[in-house]
Amino acid sequence: MKRWTVIPLIVLASLLLSACTGAASSSTWPGLTADKDRVYLADGPFVYAVRLADGVKAWQYPPDKAGTSTFYSNPVLTPDGQLLVGSSGHDYGLYSLDPASGNPKWAAPFTATDHWVAPPLVVGDTIYAPNNNGSLYALKLATGQLLWSAPTTSGESLWGSPTTDGKLIFVSSLDHFVYAVDPQARKVVWKRDLGGSAPASPLLASDSTSVYVGSFASKLYALDAATGAVQWTAPLKDWVWNAPALVDKTIYTADTSGNVYSLDAPTGKNTWPEVKPDGAITASPVALSNGVAVATETGSLYGYKPDGSALWPPVTIGGKIYTTPVVVDDRIIVAPMGAQYLLYAVNAKDGSLLPWHFSNK
Amino acid sequence: MWNQFIIYPFTNVLLWIYNLIGHNFGIAIILFTILIRLITWPLNAQQLKSAKVMQDLQSDKDWQDIQKKYAKDKEKLAQEQMRIYKERGINPFASCLPTIIQFPIIIGLYQSITHALAATPLGLLQLGQSIYPFLNAAILIPLNSQFLWMDLSKPEGIPFPAGMSVPFLPYGFPTLAIIVAITTYLQTKLTMPPTSQNPSDQGAAMNSMMSIYMPLLLGYFALNFASGLAVYFITSNVLGIVQYASMGRVNWRNVLPGAKPQPATTGRKK
Repeated sequence: MKRWTVIPLIVLASLLLSACTGAASSSTWPGLTADKDRVYLADGPFVYAVRLADGVKAWQYPPDKAGTSTFYSNPVLTPDGQLLVGSSGHDYGLYSLDPASGNPKWAAPFTATDHWVAPPLVVGDTIYAPNNNGSLYALKLATGQLLWSAPTTSGESLWGSPTTDGKLIFVSSLDHFVYAVDPQARKVVWKRDLGGSAPASPLLASDSTSVYVGSFASKLYALDAATGAVQWTAPLKDWVWNAPALVDKTIYTADTSGNVYSLDAPTGKNTWPEVKPDGAITASPVALSNGVAVATETGSLYGYKPDGSALWPPVTIGGKIYTTPVVVDDRIIVAPMGAQYLLYAVNAKDGSLLPWHFSNK
Repeated sequence: MWNQFIIYPFTNVLLWIYNLIGHNFGIAIILFTILIRLITWPLNAQQLKSAKVMQDLQSDKDWQDIQKKYAKDKEKLAQEQMRIYKERGINPFASCLPTIIQFPIIIGLYQSITHALAATPLGLLQLGQSIYPFLNAAILIPLNSQFLWMDLSKPEGIPFPAGMSVPFLPYGFPTLAIIVAITTYLQTKLTMPPTSQNPSDQGAAMNSMMSIYMPLLLGYFALNFASGLAVYFITSNVLGIVQYASMGRVNWRNVLPGAKPQPATTGRKK
């Protein structure tokens, strides 16, 4: 009796184990960017270019299902007409595509030793690409050739896009630190402990004197861009996952308990009463002409005026929204996970859901 | 429900151990596997005892007589078997019940390791949302996934010499997958129950198949998935062998190629 009962159970367990186990690069939320003509969506095995005019797919890369590439990192448009996107798959490739056709522009993708989560930064003719292996790579923009690499951290993952003041490259790390790298000297000139992992991209102040960055220590820091000295610390209620948004002298940020904050940039003081939509927030708030929009894990989009009051009624999109929306003209493009469509468009002026969407089916 | 009652508690215990021993996730997996094995020890012991009773019954004269006598009358055979069960106070399902109870625990343990080794933003977010307040998540994350020569969040492989590559081994020489396959084979063979010499015995054939398929299946998992799972497989296999050996149920001769399954040679009479 034993063998007849145990064997089917072992087979069942094997099926459960295989079904429930993700490969090292299992899925996460999609990457999103846009120009005036197209929206670029990195979602699993493909990068899609979708026409803004009608929501029709312009191209996908690769044309057929790829072997080891999976794309979730935010694609980046470069001034010289490239679309850079890193693979989260085991190919560890950073790809350059033609935004118009989807054809590769480099002879071969640049290959690191680990996958890519952070979108790269382009300064002049150099790409600064942080990798999951903890290194910051400097690549030649035209060809993707390696110029140099700096193991800036303890080897922990770099998930946030770098930013620059023109002199230093600022990059945050899951190892709790934010680093300032001098690209000329190719070395770290300062680093600051944030008390928790920082998957968020740092944000540079409009006068380039401060760097704003949040962390899992439930704080947002303002750091002196030149020295890394703490200028102020704003206590929040939960983890900060993404970069804050800066509008004039106001910093908008949010946490994973679903609180939205409006901080005075010079002092860090929260100027809003409690503003708490209906779910965790990992996406950055996005600036609108008349306020700010915030997407929540529960699949809704909220609009707020500068005083914290509602700009328009919440828009229910569905699925779960973790990706930072992009704003093109008066449209807010949203990429939820697990919704009916991969992309939706919301009217930024009145919050109405537009008859524009994209599905890969 | 599954997440709230199985995965999240398991993950938090795993992280609690990780925090307690100084942030070594490999040791935490090993200790957690030992802990779960200790908790399920009575269930395993019960299963082994019941299995032994059923095995002994196979060689019982009365049992063999009714097998021959009613070989062509399945209904009558079932009635006679039930009569013997009743007369001797045997519950034929007693050996599989502990196994059924253990499966959610084993699968939960396995999933909690995967859950804790969050390798993507979504995985890390979900991990953060499942950590209980008594653990300081901001300090714990990122988990130190380095253990010996491995990154436990990635498939294991010792890099080939420069210029050498093997298409189906993208991560290098799969040391851990080989150890998983060997220990799974050993555990399957060593703990295989004695079966009849009858060539038409489907149970024996099934056992033989399992001793081939399970090492290959788990070896495949270890080859392609996070090496933290391979550490769990190896620990679990070794502990399984140790537990069976301590109960006198290990058949060392079964490991030899071509050996017929034998009853335990080191066994104590139960």
